[in-house]
Parts: sequence; structure tokens; C-alpha cells
Amino acid sequence: MADEEKSMRLSRRNFIKIVGVAGAALASRRFLGGHTAAANRPRVELPELPAPPANADADVLLRMQEELARALKKPPSERRWVMVIDLRKCVGCHACTIACVAENKLPPGVVYRPVIEKEIGTYPNVSRLFVPRPCMQCEKPPCTPVCPVNATYTNEEGVVVVDYEQCIGCRACITACPYGARTSDFGYTYTEETPVADGLILGRERADDYERASNFEYGKGYDRPGDHGSPIGNARKCHFCLHRLHEGLLPACVTTCIGRATLFGDANDPDSLVAELISKPNVTVLKEELGTKPRVYYLV
Amino acid sequence: MKSELNLKKVIYGLGAIALAFGLWGFYLRFFVGERLVNYGSYVVWGLWVAMYLFYGGISTGSMMIASLDYLFGIRLFKGSGKIALWAAVVTMPAALVTIAMDLGHMERVWKVFLQPNLLSVMAQLVWGYSIFMVVLLAALWLVIRLESGKQDARPWLRFVMGVGLFLSIFLSGGVGALLGVNASREAWHTAMLPAQFPVFSLLSGCALMLTLLGWFAPADEKRPQQLRALSIGLLILLLVKTYYLWVDYSQALYAGTPVASEAVTLVLFGRYGWAFWLLQLGLGMVFPIAFLLSRRFQQSPFWSGVVGVAVLVGIAVARANIIFPMLSIPELEGLAQAFTGPHLNYDYYPSLMEWAVTLGVTGGAALAWLIGVDYLPFLKIKTQEVAQ
Repeated sequence: MADEEKSMRLSRRNFIKIVGVAGAALASRRFLGGHTAAANRPRVELPELPAPPANADADVLLRMQEELARALKKPPSERRWVMVIDLRKCVGCHACTIACVAENKLPPGVVYRPVIEKEIGTYPNVSRLFVPRPCMQCEKPPCTPVCPVNATYTNEEGVVVVDYEQCIGCRACITACPYGARTSDFGYTYTEETPVADGLILGRERADDYERASNFEYGKGYDRPGDHGSPIGNARKCHFCLHRLHEGLLPACVTTCIGRATLFGDANDPDSLVAELISKPNVTVLKEELGTKPRVYYLV
Repeated sequence: MKSELNLKKVIYGLGAIALAFGLWGFYLRFFVGERLVNYGSYVVWGLWVAMYLFYGGISTGSMMIASLDYLFGIRLFKGSGKIALWAAVVTMPAALVTIAMDLGHMERVWKVFLQPNLLSVMAQLVWGYSIFMVVLLAALWLVIRLESGKQDARPWLRFVMGVGLFLSIFLSGGVGALLGVNASREAWHTAMLPAQFPVFSLLSGCALMLTLLGWFAPADEKRPQQLRALSIGLLILLLVKTYYLWVDYSQALYAGTPVASEAVTLVLFGRYGWAFWLLQLGLGMVFPIAFLLSRRFQQSPFWSGVVGVAVLVGIAVARANIIFPMLSIPELEGLAQAFTGPHLNYDYYPSLMEWAVTLGVTGGAALAWLIGVDYLPFLKIKTQEVAQ
């Protein structure tokens, strides 16, 4: 039985080798010796990319980076982290969602920052609206007082956080959140259905190494254990990438926004970009009527 | 007598099958984990939370019924208090086990005792249930003393039952408050909810007692009168419940704004519309009211039991209809489609594991009650005692 399996494996391996060699031969003919359509095209001179901007005015990311460094010099209680999302600039690319998933190693079923898409109007007058929805980091959060063990609370920087080791997984906070901004971790991994085939493919056991390694949320190393330990079984949410902020880095969703639609900073700094923007009349928040005072603002 | 034995055999058999099915569910919950459930991050609470409300309501309601004998000393119910008290004792653990299954980290429950946020309704309930369990056991111990002829237990029993009655009302209302404090959930956020829940608990206790007395109490001269009194009580409570239902639903529907009527529309015409019309309204309210209006049925032990079970089924469905539909409404339009993944779904149907655990807990509680009544000497109802 074992021999049969081995011979099958060898024959599969041989087959892959044959396909690989044939493919390489075809490719070398195409790129090295063969005549292709591309080779007949006239050569086009590509313009040179401009050098990276040297001053903060050139890109809001650089400005926000400087402001972040300035804010970190203040005591934590004097900072007021605020996110501003310019809905006119958001193109719905979902780069922020993916960046957040990668940064926090979010498993299937857990999302901190989905982008809600809306189609407005009827043909021919149609437009699309994209609304990224992180945690609103409410000044008066309905999710914290319902926690029976104080596992979720507003930290001294005004960010609503979850103590994974304290959380009992009752999901009362998820029920209480008016924005659907919390999700529960049921212990999945993206790689768990990856097939295993020794010698042929990398396989699940190697592929999930990345997923199981620490994600550094809240500045701690949370491995992804197989025994249902935290953060599995916990409520999870956006925390403005606190672990990045404390290292002087902007939240992952901010740095990856291709349209610079997501902006971040300390609203207590009157010279900051976010302080400027949230004082404009075109600023709004989600479900303002609830009085939760979100720290995520939208520009419309 | 023979039909009572047959009925017991049937319930023993069904209870054992349900418990065996439940053990499989418990095995899955403990060794595979919570991922086999169908509730998730959007429909956050599912069948287990609904059943926790149901069992908790039965337990606190049974305590209220037991107080008729042990606290208020109503002669008609003399001797039947221990049946209700034993029902409260076996259904409260059923409620707590069911809700424990729902926790992502049930091994951390101790934190609610040692590191609680006492301003949270959930923490208050956990503390309340724990005290309630102690009160139930203390009452049971005092009943044992009383049954063995130690009359000095009577004033203590009266005191303990007084505390138990207060806790029954507090805990029933607390469950309503647990839902009601969620201000963004329109159908829950009403002061009526905590006010209604103690009535639902009393209704649950009354229905269960009607079944227990109808099917399992000795056929002495007091039983028809007890059944009649309970039937009239149940009828009044059902009419009050019907009024509450009308008030809740008419307020929501007449408001005319989708945010107010969405959940009610889901209950009436959504995926579980059939459960509302057939089980909650038809079986749980219309059928019992029609039967209880007839004096002939009010004194029929068998039909009293059937009516009690029908009301309980209706209450169980009503509990589910309070929980699922409200959570099936997206907090923000478009959120359901914004990101997909396991447990990110607004369309909830309980999984096989959820059903298994629920049936197992129900079977376990039924068996525990029957075994207690059959084998614990102090729970035996003496005919002459009831007839006094």
C-alpha cells in the first residue's frame, strides 16, 4: 500500500516535472528566441516617476505622520484620536478592509472595517456611494456599560478597546453596538481547507503558519491557538491600530487608502488636518440622533 | 392511575431520547467548539438565549406558584408547593446550562463574580441567579425538614420564600431589561419589556403547574378545584398576554415608520411567520383560551395538562420571536453585503447542535423532575395532606 502510494506520488511528481520543463521551454522560446507581437512593437519611452515629495504639504500622509509624531509627545489623556473619511474621495477599492485584515490577521468572519456600497438613483441618473465603517470609537459608547466584566472600555486615549483575556464571550457588546462594528471570532482560519499533499504542495500545515503567528493587537502577541484560547471566542473590533500608533505609524487603513480618503489625527491639536476638517459644515456622523458622539467623521 | 403511569413512561422515554441527543450536542459544543452554531456576529443571540429566557421564566414562575403554598398559605394549594418548588429547582440549572453554552469563554464565568461590572444588567442577573439558586436549595432543605415534622422550619421557609418571590420578579424583569437597554434596537427599547416579563414568568409557572397537577398529582377531591383555580388564573394571564401582544404590535405597526415596524413585520410575515401564527398564537393562545373558557375542560386532568403544554410551547416560540427578528435587521443598510464570511448572516436558523443541546436540556430537566417526584420521599404528595 505504501509502495503504491509512493509510486503514485513519484509519478505525480514526474508529471509536474514534465509539465514544468515543457512550460519553461515554451517560455524561453517566447522570450528568448521566438518572434512575438510585442517584439515588433515600436519602443516607447516611459516617463520617469517624480522623486518622493520632500515636504509634508506634498501628501497628506506625510503631514499626518508628522502630526502623529507630535501627538505622541503629549500625555495619552491629552490626545483625541479622530478619523475622518472623505466619502467624495472613496472609490470603493476595499484596500482599507484588506489592509486591516492583514494587519490584524483577522480570521474569516471577523471584520473591523467593511466598506458598505450603495447604489443611488435610477438609470440614467445613477451613482455609487462607498461608506467605510470602522468602529466609531464613540465618546458615549453603548457597548461598554453592558459588559458584565469590564472587558471592554474606553482607554485614556479615548479608544474603545477589548481586553481579550477578560472577555467571557457573551456578545452583549455586539448586541449593543448600533453600528454593527463588532464581530465575534469563531476560530476559523483562511487556510484550514488547504489540501495536504506531502512533497507536492506547501500544504495546510505550512500555509497556516502565518495565520497562527501573533498579530500584535493592543501591543500584545496574540497567537492563534488551536485550543479556542483568546482571541477566539471573543468580541473583536477596530482599535484605530493602537499598536501601530504607539510605534509612530498611522493606522493600516489610512496608509493604504489610495484616494487619501481616510484621514487620521489628534483632534486636540488645533493645527492638525483632522481638526481643520471636522470644523467644516460638510461633516457628518452615522446615526447622530443616538447621541453616541462618534469619533469617526464623514465628509460629504 | 394507569393512564398516569403510561404518561410517565412516555415522558421518561422521550426525556431519555432527548437527553441522549443532547449529550451528542454537548460533546460537539465542548470538543468541536462554537463554530457549529448558526448564530454569529449579526444575529448575535440565537436559540440558546431564547431557551434561557424560557427556562428562566418557568423557574421564576414556578417559584411564584410555590409561594401560594409556602408564603401565602393558601389552603387550596397546600401540599402542592413542593411540586412547583422542585420544578423551579430543576429548570433554573437548565436555564443556566443553556446560557453557559452560548458563551465564547464559559471557563471565565468566575470573572462575573470576582471582577464584575455591577452596573451591567447581565452581571446583576448572574448574581441574582446565583442567589436565587441558593434560595431554592435553602427552601428545598426547609421543606425536607417540614416534611419530617419539624415545624420550626415553617417561619424560616416563609422568609426564604419571600426572598425567592422578590428575586423571581426581579430576575424576570431583569431579563426584559437585558434586552431593553439596547437603545438602538427599536422593538426592545421599551419600558414595557421589563414590566411584561414577570407576567410571562407567572404565566409559564401557571401553565407548568397545570400540567404537573393534571398529569401527575393524585386524583383526590382537591385536584379538580386546584385545576379550576389554575385554569382561571391561566386564562386571565393569557388574556393579559394577548393584550400585551396587541399593544406591542399595534404600536409598532401604527407608527408607520419602517424602523419601528420592521421587526414586527418579520415576526408576522417573515421566515418564521408560520411559527407565530400556528404555534405562538394558534397553539399557545387561541387553543388554550378556547378550552379554558369551558368549565368542563377546566376540571379535566388530562386536558389541563395538554393545555399547559400548549401554552408552554407558545411561550417558547414567543421568546424566540422576541430575540431573532430584532437581531435580523441590519444595523446599517448594506452591511449584510459589505463583507461575507462564516457567521456574518442576518438569516438565522438554529443548527443541529443548537437543537440537540436544547432538547437535551429539556429532556434532562423533565427526567430530573420525574425522578425527584418518584424517588425522593419528601416530594411525594400525600393524598390526605392535599385533602386537608
